[in-house]
Amino acid sequence: MIQLTNITKSFGRHQVLNKIDLTVQKGEVVVILGPSGSGKTTLLRCVNYLEKPNDGEILIGDYRLNCKHASKKDIYQLRQKSAMVFQQYNLFKHKTALENVMEGLVVVKKLSKEEAKTRSIALLEKVGLGSKLDAYPSQLSGGQQQRVGIARALALEPEVILFDEPTSALDPELVGEVLAVIRKIAKEGITMIVVTHEMGFARDVANHVVFMDGGVIVEEGTPVELFNNPQEERTKQFLKRITPELNYSI
Amino acid sequence: MKLDPSFIWTALIQLLSAIPTTLVITAVSVTIGFIIGLITALLRIYKIPVLSQIAAGYVTFIRGTPMLTHLLLIYFGLPMLVDALSAQFGWSIKSSSIPMIGFAFISFSITAGAYMAEVIRSGLLAVNRGQLEAAYSVGMTTPQALRRIVFPQALAVSLPNLSNSVIGMLHGSTLVFTVSVVDINAKAQIVASTNWKFFEAYLAAAVIFWGLTLLIERITAVIEKRINLYNRGGVA
Repeated sequence: MIQLTNITKSFGRHQVLNKIDLTVQKGEVVVILGPSGSGKTTLLRCVNYLEKPNDGEILIGDYRLNCKHASKKDIYQLRQKSAMVFQQYNLFKHKTALENVMEGLVVVKKLSKEEAKTRSIALLEKVGLGSKLDAYPSQLSGGQQQRVGIARALALEPEVILFDEPTSALDPELVGEVLAVIRKIAKEGITMIVVTHEMGFARDVANHVVFMDGGVIVEEGTPVELFNNPQEERTKQFLKRITPELNYSI
Repeated sequence: MKLDPSFIWTALIQLLSAIPTTLVITAVSVTIGFIIGLITALLRIYKIPVLSQIAAGYVTFIRGTPMLTHLLLIYFGLPMLVDALSAQFGWSIKSSSIPMIGFAFISFSITAGAYMAEVIRSGLLAVNRGQLEAAYSVGMTTPQALRRIVFPQALAVSLPNLSNSVIGMLHGSTLVFTVSVVDINAKAQIVASTNWKFFEAYLAAAVIFWGLTLLIERITAVIEKRINLYNRGGVA
């Protein structure tokens, strides 16, 4: 289980997150929606401690961290509980697809090279890149790079995988292959928090949808509740703008 | 005076014996300079209080003064310092026991360090922040992330400029004649002093320096090809 309590973050005087509480059950897929600047990406980055929250508490699995008194060691511990898939992929540029997936296993998890390699190959095959093991990121398409990114996150067997707009940087044609992979692993019961603008994906895959605006959670619920029967005015407005077909599909 | 082509060859042969001195001075100053440069660059990038200001001061002072001046300052200043310390703490080290080439090692390392600090800093800054974040996200500590992810990429970016520094130090090493160390250039002067055929001797020295420089360029090209295997991008 992942539990965020009272997460607060400001950049200078600009308050980005205002006392956010969020609970994600094991095996759940939570999608965070919201306009840009709503703080959704920052929230995700706080879970991985790429942003340091000013206040609050993060619980992942059995590891609890108080953001006010977090030592370096605590942060490293917390980071090992989660893995991140980035909007810009952020694959290690100087390493091949296989080495990218192996890196964390060898350096952080201290697996032997052989074991790491076997596991990494299996994962790359799973995301459909068994034939690209020795390709460098610069030789891969955006969709392929992002699938390597997903394999890299999966390899660590984290409690939760965090997806930060995983398809936003992709050509429309390549979005499908990445979403297919995310769907596939969602079915395997891996806990995920996904920030995305893909409404179709959110509807199909999410167990729970969270709508954020202005640094707070405006509304949350099941996809059916949130998409078909939003309660808050701000949510209605947002959904109307982002999915105009809703107007006549009901 | 007429050109004596045969003496160019004679001088060239005699100059060969001074090549090791030049290479050792270059290698030592570049190696220690690289370490100093790396530390200086990291202090500045991470804005470590006090130390980063000292690092910035070091870079601006050294780059703002000639290499020859560094050598002379070390040559005249270091003995005073050593003797004063020896007297203070009762050490048995005497400044006269420092070999001449030692002054060159120390001063040129300091020179190289300041220039390389900026080269390395630019290389580190060229690495996308996302690379570091990805390293953190897989659970690496900062030292692990720097060593395994950031440094290799920064090195690849800095390589052309680093080779420039190495060549600069190779040529700068000719200044050691001022502290009576015989490098290639000093040797040329000695060789010519018997028959006054300075032009021929210096021409021979030039040929050797050019040869060494070509060698450095070649080695850089090979390394560059190797570590830039991953980089199919850029404007080229």
